[in-house]
Amino acid sequence: MSIFEYNGSALVAMVGKNCFAIASDRRLGVQLQTVATDFKRISQVHDRLFIGLSGLATDAQTLYQRLMFRHKLYQLREERDMKPETFASLVSAILYEKRFGPYFTQPVIAGLGDEDKPFICTMDSIGAKELAKDFVVAGTASESLYGACEAMFKPDMEPEELFETVSQALLSSVDRDCLSGWGGHIFVVTPTEVQEKILKGRMD
Amino acid sequence: MSQVAADVPKGGFSFDLCRRNDMLAKNGVQQPSYRKTGTTIVGLIFKDGVILGADTRATEGPIVCDKNCEKIHYMAPNIYCCGAGTAADTEAVTDMVSSQLQLHRYHTGRESRVVTALTLLKKHLFNYQGHVSAALVLGGVDVTGPHLHTIYPHGSTDTLPFATMGSGSLAAMAMFESKYKEGMTRDEGIKLVTEAICSGIFNDLGSGSNVDVCVITKGHKEYLRNHLVPTPRTYVSAEGYKFTKKTEVLFTKITPLTKKAEVIEGGDAMEE
Amino acid sequence: MRLDTSGLESHAPLFGESSGFLDGVSAPPSFEVPTTNDYEMDLSMAMGYLDFDGFQKEAIQMVKPAKGTTTLAFIFKDGVMVAADSRASMGGYISSQSVKKIIEINPYMLGTMAGGAADCQFWHRNLGIKCRLHELANKRRISVTGASKLLANILYSYRGMGLSVGTMIAGWDETGPGLYYVDSEGGRLKGMRFSVGSGSPYAYGVLDDGYRYDMSVEEAAELARRAIYHATFRDGASGGVASVYHVGANGWKKLSGDDVGELHYLYYPVVAGAVEQEMVEVAAH
Repeated sequence: MSIFEYNGSALVAMVGKNCFAIASDRRLGVQLQTVATDFKRISQVHDRLFIGLSGLATDAQTLYQRLMFRHKLYQLREERDMKPETFASLVSAILYEKRFGPYFTQPVIAGLGDEDKPFICTMDSIGAKELAKDFVVAGTASESLYGACEAMFKPDMEPEELFETVSQALLSSVDRDCLSGWGGHIFVVTPTEVQEKILKGRMD
Repeated sequence: MSQVAADVPKGGFSFDLCRRNDMLAKNGVQQPSYRKTGTTIVGLIFKDGVILGADTRATEGPIVCDKNCEKIHYMAPNIYCCGAGTAADTEAVTDMVSSQLQLHRYHTGRESRVVTALTLLKKHLFNYQGHVSAALVLGGVDVTGPHLHTIYPHGSTDTLPFATMGSGSLAAMAMFESKYKEGMTRDEGIKLVTEAICSGIFNDLGSGSNVDVCVITKGHKEYLRNHLVPTPRTYVSAEGYKFTKKTEVLFTKITPLTKKAEVIEGGDAMEE
Repeated sequence: MRLDTSGLESHAPLFGESSGFLDGVSAPPSFEVPTTNDYEMDLSMAMGYLDFDGFQKEAIQMVKPAKGTTTLAFIFKDGVMVAADSRASMGGYISSQSVKKIIEINPYMLGTMAGGAADCQFWHRNLGIKCRLHELANKRRISVTGASKLLANILYSYRGMGLSVGTMIAGWDETGPGLYYVDSEGGRLKGMRFSVGSGSPYAYGVLDDGYRYDMSVEEAAELARRAIYHATFRDGASGGVASVYHVGANGWKKLSGDDVGELHYLYYPVVAGAVEQEMVEVAAH
C-alpha cells in the first residue's frame, strides 16, 4: 500500500472564463474503513485563493497550519493578500525543504490573480510545480479524474457550465475509486462571488 | 518572537520527518513516486553560439501529468539550462543557482560566466552525493565564447560540442552523431536540435509532446517556446460533452466578494 | 442385492483419471502449474513449483480481483436469507459494480462469493456438477451438509496452493434449511448466521442487532438488505447493488436487487437545503 492511499482523496481544479472551480470528495478513511463523510480537504486561504491537500490527512493538516501561519505573517508584513503565484511558490518551497523526508501530500492550488485571471496549479509531494491552463487533479482517484477531465473539459466555460463539468468529472471518477467519494464539495469562484456547494453522490 | 522565527526557516533542507518516514517504510508502506521529467534534452554549439532543446512531457510513474512543461530553465540572461530527472530537484537547483548568479552580478557588475554556473551546480550536486537527482545540460555564451556542458546527478561534468541527456538521450544522440558538423549555421542548428528532440519524442516513452528551443548568441538570446508541435491533439469533440443527468446539490452558500482597497504606489515613505 | 456406493464417488473426472471412493480427498491435486527456474529458491519452493523472480506469484495476485466483499446469510423460521453486494475491486480501483456474488448452484442451493472471483465461480460450478450427479445416482437431492462437505474436501486438498475462497452454502434439503461456511483454508462451519468478506464486521453489527428467529420473510429480507447497505457505507471495497435471495421449501427466489447509491437516500432522506446567501460585507483582513 502506498501511503497516499491511507486516507483516500480526490481533488480537482478547473479553469473557466474569468472563473475557476475547485472540488474534492468528502471521505476520510483508514484504508478501507470509512471514518467520516464530511471531511474538508479544501481550505480558503483568502477571499479568492483556495488550497486543497490530498494524501495523508495528518500531513495535510500540519502543512495547512504552517501555510496559514506563513500567509498571516505575509498579510501583517505586507498589508495585502498573497497572489496565487506567490502562494504556490511558498507551498513549493515548504515542500521542497523536506525533500528527503517529505509530507505525504499533494496540493492543488486555485485562485484569482491580477485582473481576475484564474490560476490553478498542482505539485507532487516535494514541490515540483505544474502550472496548467485547463485542469489539475490529485488524490487516489487522480487517474480516473485525468480521463474524465480530459474528455469533459472545454475552454472558456461560464461558471454554471464549469460547475456542472467539474462536479460530473469528480462524481463519475470517485465512483471508480474505493478510497474516495461519499459526496462532493465544490467552490466556484468568480470575480464577484464564491459559491460553495455540497454535492449529492453515491455513499458506497 | 524566537518561536515564530523558528518556524520561518532560513533555508536548507529539513530532515525532521525522515525518522517517521523511515519507520513507515520499514512497516511496509510503499514510498511515493515523484514527478519526473522522463525527458529528452539536448544542446549543441553552432557557428555563433549555443542552441538548447527539450521536449515538454512530465511523468509520474506511467501517467503523463503535464503535457507542456518547461524544461529549459533560465540561469542568467546569457545562460540557460535544460533539466532532466526529478522535476522538483531540477527546478530547485536551477532556481537556486540562478539567484546566486544574480547576486554575483550585482556584486561584480559583470556578465555571468558559464563556468561559474557550472561550478555552483556541480558543487551542490556533489555535496548531496547524487540524492538530488538532476541531470543537466548547461549552455551559454559569455566573454570567453560559447560553452556547452553536461552535469550528472553525482556532480561530474563534461564539456562537449554537442550533448544529450535524459531517457531519450540515446535516440537524440543518434541524430547528433550522424548529422552534427562543426560551424553549422543558426537554421541548420535549430533544425538538427529539433530533429534530435523529435527522435526522443517518437522513440522514447518518457519523452513527448512539443519541442522547446533556446538559441543563445553573443549578447542575444531567443527562447522558442513550442517551436514545433509534432503531435497535436486531433480528437476534440466540437459540441463538448453532454451530461445526461444534472448534478444534485444538497447545500449552497454564496458569499459575495468585494473589491479590496488598492495599494497606491509611491505613497508615504516608510518611517524610519 | 448390491449396495450402491456410487453416490460417494466423485463422478466428474475433470482432471484426468478419477480413482474412486476418496477422490477429492486423497487424490493428488492435478492443477497444472508451469515450472520456471528460480535461483533464489524462496517461498515458491514450498508452494511446489519454481518461480523466477516472483513473477508468477505477482501475476497470480494480479488476476485475482474481488478481494473486498460483503456477503451474509442467516437461517430463520421460513428458511435461509442470503444477501451480497456487487463490487469487484483491484487495489483501490473499482473494476465492476455489477458482479453476481450469489451463485445459483441448483434450484435449492445457493453459494456466496468472497475472495478470488475465479476460484469461487469455478468451484461452485464444479460443485453444481457434483450435486447433479449425486441426484441422478441416488434419485434424491443432495443435502446441504453433503454438498458443503464436498466443497470443503476439494478446497482442503488444494490447501496452501493459493486458492482464495470464502463461501457460504445455503439451501433447503430433507431436513429443512441448511447453512454452512466453507473456506479455502479447509474450514467448514455449520451455523445460523454468517457474514463473509471485508465488510462482514459491519454487516454482523446490523445482523446481530436485528436478528430474531421468528421473523417474517419481509422482515428478514429488510434486515439482510440493511446489513449489506451499512456494510457498503463503511467498507470502501463493498458497494454497488444489494441483492437479496430467499431459500424456502420450494427452492430459492431472488427477492430484490437495490442500488445502494439510492438505498442510502431512501434510508436517510435529505432535503436540498435552501441557498444560503451571505449578505454581510466581507471584512478586509
